[in-house]
Amino acid sequence: MTKRPSHRLRFLVGLALAGGISIGVSWLLLRTERQQAAGARTEREAVVTLQSLADLVERAGRRGDPVRKALAAWQAANPSVRLARVAAFEGISLEASTAPEDKGDRAAPRRLTHDEKPLYDRGQRLRAAVATNREEGGARKPEIETDQLPSGALSLAAPILEAGEVTGMVEIEIQPVPPLPQPSLFPPIVAFLGPLLLLGLVALLLGERRLPLAAVSVACLALGFGAYALHSLASVQNDRVLSHEAVAAHARTQGGTARSVLAALGLEAGAPLQPGKWDVDAFRQPRGFLTGEGKLDPAALAANVERARGQAERALWGVGALALAILLLVGLGGVNRLAATLVAHRQAYLYVVPAMIGMLVLVFFPFLYGITLSFTDSNLYSVNLPITETWIGLRNYGDILGDFAFAHRAVDGSLVFDYLNFYWTLMFTVVWTVSNVTIGVTVGLVLALVLNTKGLALRPMYRVLLILPWATPNYITALIWKGMFHQQFGVVNHVIRLFGGQGLSWFDKPGTSFVTALATNGWLSFPFMMVVSLGALQSIPGELYEAARVDGASRWQQFKAITLPSLRPALVPAVILSVVWTFNMFNIIYLVTAGEPGSSTEILVTQAYKFAFERYRYGYAAAYSTIIFGILLVYGAIQNRVSRATEAA
Amino acid sequence: MARARNREEFPHAPLHAGLVVFTFLTVYPVLWVFTIAFSGKQSLALADLPESPTLWDRLRAITPWPERWSMANFASVFADQPFLAWLGNSALIAVATTILGVCLAMTAAYAFSRFRFPGQRAGMMSFLVSQMFPGTLMLIPLYIIVVQWLGLGSTRTGLVLVYGTTSVPFSVWMLKGYFDTIPKELEEAAVIEGASAGKIFWRIIIPLAKPALAITALFSFMSSWNEFILAATLIDKEEMYTAPVGLRFFVGGFSQQWGYFAAGSIIVSIPVVFLFLYLQKYLVSGLTAGSVKG
Repeated sequence: MTKRPSHRLRFLVGLALAGGISIGVSWLLLRTERQQAAGARTEREAVVTLQSLADLVERAGRRGDPVRKALAAWQAANPSVRLARVAAFEGISLEASTAPEDKGDRAAPRRLTHDEKPLYDRGQRLRAAVATNREEGGARKPEIETDQLPSGALSLAAPILEAGEVTGMVEIEIQPVPPLPQPSLFPPIVAFLGPLLLLGLVALLLGERRLPLAAVSVACLALGFGAYALHSLASVQNDRVLSHEAVAAHARTQGGTARSVLAALGLEAGAPLQPGKWDVDAFRQPRGFLTGEGKLDPAALAANVERARGQAERALWGVGALALAILLLVGLGGVNRLAATLVAHRQAYLYVVPAMIGMLVLVFFPFLYGITLSFTDSNLYSVNLPITETWIGLRNYGDILGDFAFAHRAVDGSLVFDYLNFYWTLMFTVVWTVSNVTIGVTVGLVLALVLNTKGLALRPMYRVLLILPWATPNYITALIWKGMFHQQFGVVNHVIRLFGGQGLSWFDKPGTSFVTALATNGWLSFPFMMVVSLGALQSIPGELYEAARVDGASRWQQFKAITLPSLRPALVPAVILSVVWTFNMFNIIYLVTAGEPGSSTEILVTQAYKFAFERYRYGYAAAYSTIIFGILLVYGAIQNRVSRATEAA
Repeated sequence: MARARNREEFPHAPLHAGLVVFTFLTVYPVLWVFTIAFSGKQSLALADLPESPTLWDRLRAITPWPERWSMANFASVFADQPFLAWLGNSALIAVATTILGVCLAMTAAYAFSRFRFPGQRAGMMSFLVSQMFPGTLMLIPLYIIVVQWLGLGSTRTGLVLVYGTTSVPFSVWMLKGYFDTIPKELEEAAVIEGASAGKIFWRIIIPLAKPALAITALFSFMSSWNEFILAATLIDKEEMYTAPVGLRFFVGGFSQQWGYFAAGSIIVSIPVVFLFLYLQKYLVSGLTAGSVKG
């Protein structure tokens, strides 16, 4: 006798779990967000400080006494800066320094000493980064270096430019800023307990009625979690605005300091100071939130806050959905039943779980993740962004499947193929598969028939030697044949020359390149067919042939009526398998032709690989692979039906 | 003998002639590798041609017989190249993969074979379906997960985990088939004598299934030893290469060290070729039986 389960209790437990998990997770998210925002703000302020110094040094002439005076005055006005150094690459000199150890005989100006090589190297890195970014017209190498020192302080360095060239650098160390307080625990506790109390009270009134209880508990969850979600969204927005305002205020303060330093040195001439321009990213590109004078740009601010809010909102929706699922699962008794099943079959599950976990993490999850990636434009640079940032829906599929222009007429009227087009590669793959399987089956079957001759001497030896190509690891086979097709030294060309021909440059034309791959794959794939056919031939009872001969059947009639039908049950699955193998024969194409010339001899799987690992278009390559999977699925379904039909026949 | 005459067999001589020619063509690439390996040179030419070669010179250039026998390539592939380290990596990875894969597979296969539980069919089917996932579709997420999330790029652990789990479905299907053939009466007798489930598994099933376990393990070992593309994708530190990636390194790109490649290939291939010749009958029956059932 089991006790009748209490709906009230279950919904209360469900709500406690769902509310606890969702609100707890939201609180953790809020805390991380706040820590990250604080870190980002500290770094931005540090960069503003650094850039204000760089600006000052450039205005003070980059080297000599004015720089030293400016640095001393600037340091006096910036107590949070521990030390600052200015170096010039010409003469490898330390131009100015406020570091405590640079006093007395180490006082600037002097040449950099041997133990200051890290400083010099840092400068050279910055110089190289600026040059690289300018050459590439992009932003790949950081032009401002920020490092966290073991003490917690930040060490930053920026280049000093003179007529576009990096001629020096400034380096500062900034005191760590005390971390922000954690978000308050009061709101989440209220949002957690309130709905629980409410549900408890209502449940007393409602009694053991399942559906009304479900409705009320969902409403309670929505109330509690919803209120807390709104609270965290407001808090995220508020933090964002405050942090932008703080940076703006900091920039204005630095502007004031710089102005007074310049005034004291009598250096006011030149363009007016623009403190807002000091708020730059690691590539010294303005972030665009501040105007020149250091005022906040309302439009940019609003867009940034909106983006932060959007991200937080999406995360909270996800958490909410999870909470709802937990509540209903527990409340409606799903968890109870699940637990009962698990306990009843605990032994079986115990044995399966290790393998299942491994499969889930490294087979099924990657598979689903791959399919998800196919809806994004994820690439080398954006792969660590959340999926929602790179989501582009079905565009990859449209780009791949919707582009039918795989050939066009050139100016002189000849056909020109676009080898990167999906349909070209698909056509090539089909031709590749069909020709390979045909060769494999024909050669394998003929050899099997020959080897099956009764009383043939040396049969085991032939058999072992003919299986060798299958036994050799196929990447080695591929590399061997690649060598044998070498234009100058390859054996194949030597044979052609032996018969008076000219050696071919095999990998320069799609046709000959295809032949090389075909030869390689033909070589390694016929033994499988041979072994399978041989096995089937040997299992045909000799009495069948005898009976046929008694009936006066000719050799050809015997072959058609006895041999072929008996081979069929073995050959059909073998052909099905070898079609899939050849379709997916990555190593041969990748190692022998490598798609040469110009991607014309890629098959679908190697093309997908190249999109991923040579062009770094992960999303596009994932869509490509998903399409391949679709093709294989369709093939599998057809094959299943066909083989069922053959079995029935 | 009498029967052979009755059947008006083909004369054997032409069959032998054809077989000898075809077998020679088949074995030629293997002879080619041996020639280069024992030539003591890095060139992929079998012989150097003079300015105006005669027919004999040309014939010499395709004869798979070294001009001068030398073990230099074998000696220096170990001494001057990190090939020993690569072999070591491959061996370690293959052994660890085998242990991990077989341990995971044998318990799961036992449960699938002996217990009736919800999700049993779905579990077996999911293993089967996972065999249809195309390698390249898995490659991108695996690269992101293993290299960028778990930080296991260029490590042996990363490869062992990936190889071990991907080998599970094939091993589970093989082992389940074998476990099904072990009569249940043995276990029932043990249960009556009060043996626990764990004891039955370790003391009765595993000893009885030794042959099947050995074959599964050998397949696991062989596929991990021969694996190229995952290793090439997940590993980019030269000292962590496996043997296949290392062999490609000798002759890929602008590198043309064919002597090292040939010597290395022979060393890498010999164990697996023999293993394969031994396992080939199980492979054929396993593959074709599996797919007839569809």
